[in-house]
Amino acid sequence: MSQQIPISVNVNGTLYERAVEPRLLLSDFLRHELELTGTHVGCEHGVCGACTVLLDGDAVRSCLLFAVQVDGHGLVTVEGLAPDASSDRLHPLQEAFREAHGLQCGFCTPGFLMTLVAFLEENPHPSEREIREVISGHLCRCTGYQSIVEATKIAARRSA
Amino acid sequence: MIIEGTFPFAAPREVVWELLQDPAVLAQAIPGAKRLDRVEDDRFEGEMHVSVGPVSAAAFSVTVTISDKVSPERFTMTIEGKGPLGFTRGTARVELHDRDGGTLMKYRADLKIGGKIAGVGQRMLDSVSRTMTRQGLEALNREVQNRLAGISVGATSRSPAVRWKLSMVLLLLAIVVLILILRLA
Amino acid sequence: MTSRRFFGERFTRNEDARLLRGLALFVDDVHLDGMLHVAFLRSDYAHARLISVDTAAARARPGVVAVYTADDLGAYWQPGPLLVAPPPIDGLVFNAATQVPLIKDKARHAGEPIAMVVAESRYVAEDALVDIVVDMDPLDAVVDLEAALEPDAPVIHEQHGTNLASHVVQQKGDYQRAHREAALIVKRRFHYDRGVAGALENRGVVAQWDARCEELTVWDTTQAPIPIRSGLARMLGLLESQVRVIAPFVGGGFGSKIMMFYPEEVLLPWAAMRLNRPLKWIEDRQENFYATTQERLQIHDAELALSEDGHILGVHDVFLHDTGAYNPYGLTIPINSQCTLLGPYDVPNYYTEFRVIFTNKTTVTPVRGAGRQHGVFVMERLLDFAAKELGIDRVEIRKRNLLSSDDFPHNHVILFQDSAPLVYDSGNYLPALEKAVDLIGYDEFVREEQPRLRAAGRHVGLGIVSYIEGTGIGPYEGARVTVEPSGQVRVATGVGTQGQGHYTVFAQVVAEVLDVDLDRIHVTTGDTREFHWGTGTFASRGVVVAGSACHEAAVAVRKKILGLASDALGVAENDLELEGGRVRVKDAPERAVDLGELAVRANPLRGAVTPGTEPGLEATAYFGPDRGSTASGVHAMIVEVDRETAMVEIKRYVVVHDSGRVINPMLVEGQIQGGVAHGIGNAFYEQLVYDDTGQLLNASFMDYLLPTATDVPRVEMAHIETPSPLNPLGVKGVGEAGAIPTGAAFAQAVEDALAEDDLEIREIPLSPNRLFEMIRDARATR
Repeated sequence: MSQQIPISVNVNGTLYERAVEPRLLLSDFLRHELELTGTHVGCEHGVCGACTVLLDGDAVRSCLLFAVQVDGHGLVTVEGLAPDASSDRLHPLQEAFREAHGLQCGFCTPGFLMTLVAFLEENPHPSEREIREVISGHLCRCTGYQSIVEATKIAARRSA
Repeated sequence: MIIEGTFPFAAPREVVWELLQDPAVLAQAIPGAKRLDRVEDDRFEGEMHVSVGPVSAAAFSVTVTISDKVSPERFTMTIEGKGPLGFTRGTARVELHDRDGGTLMKYRADLKIGGKIAGVGQRMLDSVSRTMTRQGLEALNREVQNRLAGISVGATSRSPAVRWKLSMVLLLLAIVVLILILRLA
Repeated sequence: MTSRRFFGERFTRNEDARLLRGLALFVDDVHLDGMLHVAFLRSDYAHARLISVDTAAARARPGVVAVYTADDLGAYWQPGPLLVAPPPIDGLVFNAATQVPLIKDKARHAGEPIAMVVAESRYVAEDALVDIVVDMDPLDAVVDLEAALEPDAPVIHEQHGTNLASHVVQQKGDYQRAHREAALIVKRRFHYDRGVAGALENRGVVAQWDARCEELTVWDTTQAPIPIRSGLARMLGLLESQVRVIAPFVGGGFGSKIMMFYPEEVLLPWAAMRLNRPLKWIEDRQENFYATTQERLQIHDAELALSEDGHILGVHDVFLHDTGAYNPYGLTIPINSQCTLLGPYDVPNYYTEFRVIFTNKTTVTPVRGAGRQHGVFVMERLLDFAAKELGIDRVEIRKRNLLSSDDFPHNHVILFQDSAPLVYDSGNYLPALEKAVDLIGYDEFVREEQPRLRAAGRHVGLGIVSYIEGTGIGPYEGARVTVEPSGQVRVATGVGTQGQGHYTVFAQVVAEVLDVDLDRIHVTTGDTREFHWGTGTFASRGVVVAGSACHEAAVAVRKKILGLASDALGVAENDLELEGGRVRVKDAPERAVDLGELAVRANPLRGAVTPGTEPGLEATAYFGPDRGSTASGVHAMIVEVDRETAMVEIKRYVVVHDSGRVINPMLVEGQIQGGVAHGIGNAFYEQLVYDDTGQLLNASFMDYLLPTATDVPRVEMAHIETPSPLNPLGVKGVGEAGAIPTGAAFAQAVEDALAEDDLEIREIPLSPNRLFEMIRDARATR
């Protein structure tokens, strides 16, 4: 097999050390090496946004990065959002999504959540226009987006 | 896809014509060309690899058949090319006209493109093909100048394959640019 | 039935927590020890004879375990099943040709699989695709629907000697008489083009053969696991009980994940058994554009015969329907088109004829709406043009033709997709139209707002259209309801789920009967081990058919509960009621027994029982409606067009819909909002572009545009509830409704906004480019 590069990545607070092929996509690394399958892959060309994760706090598309590029960095995936993995408690944004019916099939949802978590951090009181613009980088075929906008507003209101 | 245009060479038709018959010259003028062999009188087979930046594309095989050849005026090429990323089929017609002491080349290629490149490369095919065509022709023109100045890159076998090579190159480039966008954007 | 209300309430969903935490299992999340990965080599050509395939180099590549071509499949190589037999229509022509697992003689559409590579990783499998040398001889492609029937056209399926897949004529009354008597005939040609289903999750299959248990498990992104289970068992020579098909969480279906017996669905299980290793194949997005079914190209030549006062005397419609390379789904789509065209209107005379055409394009099967949007588009556009010619207001002409609430059941005579005559069970169309007129502010817009804005140089327009939708067709679904000793309730049904909220809505249906808290009701869908009879989730039928089965099963369990509780409490059944997971005496609520305790009693482990006793608080029930129930609605929108860029902004969107009784308004509204978004995509953004060699030119989300959050407005909704008499819940389907009339409403609104250009929109999708051309052409001709 081809060359293996050692990397060390902190994901959701856990340090992982692995040797990977240089061409291994970050999305595949997360999903298949670390078995963090909450990050979904919808297009593999950076349009749909389903694979979005936080890289040192910024929302990035894990299908457009190689695993070797995140060596030494910190990632948060959708599995890392809720405060406590063992309880049923959700992150306020996740809670708002449930309340507003912000998801149907739920496949695109992790990507929306990650982008919106980073966005609300930066802009805690966004206008509807701003919310729509930031999520226009994501595709959802089920909801028609309205309930995602509503969920974001609810989460923003609560954090105020 | 239709690629058409004109290109002025600062040399007489006969010189340009002769150049167009020389596969080695063409291979130099065209990025990525690895091989260009004459398998019959009017039939050529070639192989090319093109890479852009850190990404290299797979090999493409190409067959060109020449017809309607009138020296030093015109010829038509029937082109079949295929590789893992797609294929092209079609014809290209090249005409040489006397113009202001030099030669004006008129070209028109009508190419069907299929496979992955067709599906995802449309947005780049047009502009990339234009750019590549121009670059190839400029390289040829430099070679024309070299020959007029008595410097030759040599090579003896004959090949008229200009347009097809260019079109294949641009297909590859399109793919490659696309892969870059897909993977690295 | 119970003291608490579970219907009509906005319960949040049982399934959400898992999905939101990233813990829900999708097919690509299945990891098995020793799992190998599969990639497919697909034809670049849309139509080409296969001369040879050389897989030697691919087989030799390190990490490659196997490479299969059609020849390697032996007797397993069979064309797929015909999934829906055509209805028994007189004079029917139907030439079946179903998809093959790997091509043997020739490729019939670009993307058709040629070879299958199994390797240690997907990366290696894809590397090996490049090693395979394929020699193909390209043939002229069949792309244009009309050219396909020319005598010199290349033929895609030689055994039929023609590209005609089907020819159907259906009639009601006597259109020729209507034509003779008409004061006005409006005649036009209409186009509706192709789009993708566009589920965000691509397709995928994981197959595992357990040689010790002799059991095959298949995780499949299908909308219909039970038919897949049955088909695989038959093909592989296994008992149905040896095959377990699981459709876990599925990331959207929209029709394209129906029980297709896609090549990959058929090949992975076969190869997993042969190699005795688990296999995984996950489609990538580019493959999805070629290998997953699509829909919507039709060309209609239609005419409407009207009286002077705008009453419809008859409709004549002749259309071509593109089925792509194969027609496994029979006539469902074009029959939907011809049946939906009649809309909520009284149409006494109808002549409808269609031809289905094979083309060298990806196979067509239903996609959300499934032919219905075409019918609505044709009828609503004809009414718009008629209104204009007759000088009648567009709302008024519709009102004059609506069926009244006394007209039900209304028999349209022609056969529907379920082979039953097209009979509307119930409806209340005028109030819906009036409500939409009111909500969108039609009168004020037309009288004041539009003239005012026009005077200010703005191009605003309004569209308002009606539609009906045949939903909830048979044949049947089943469900099993079990009360467990813990007092929790298990509900199992065979339909798959792709985001509709079945875990919640079926729980509501059962709770309405048993009065158990929703979070104590656990619904399983889409696992053939849990429930193994049924068909699947499509045709807006999940809640109508499977929901009704859940209801019937719950009613049967309730009967058992009351019988046992009556014994336990020494009180007559009539004096008992269910509340909060308990049975209590109506007049003495402190005398009660838990459902869990009754469940224990229902399974005696010692002693004697009366003969005929069935153990368990459990019941299985099946429900099959006589025919589909007819949902309906009105869509209205206001748009503003930038006449220079031809960009259209949707300012407002109103939907008044009637899907019968509403169990969970939140879910219904979600379905409609999402459907409208899909419809907006089809109307203005989404179009698959094929060139004349059958090459798809926009096979990525960069070039094929799904609408985003800035393109889809908030949909304002109102519900009208006309219960269906055809099922115990009184429900009608709603999954597709939002996407159906959108194109028609959009066309009318844009045309209205551009009234000064006097253009006619007779095609969908539009796009800024296309609209720009239309505006330019309209200018040029004046």
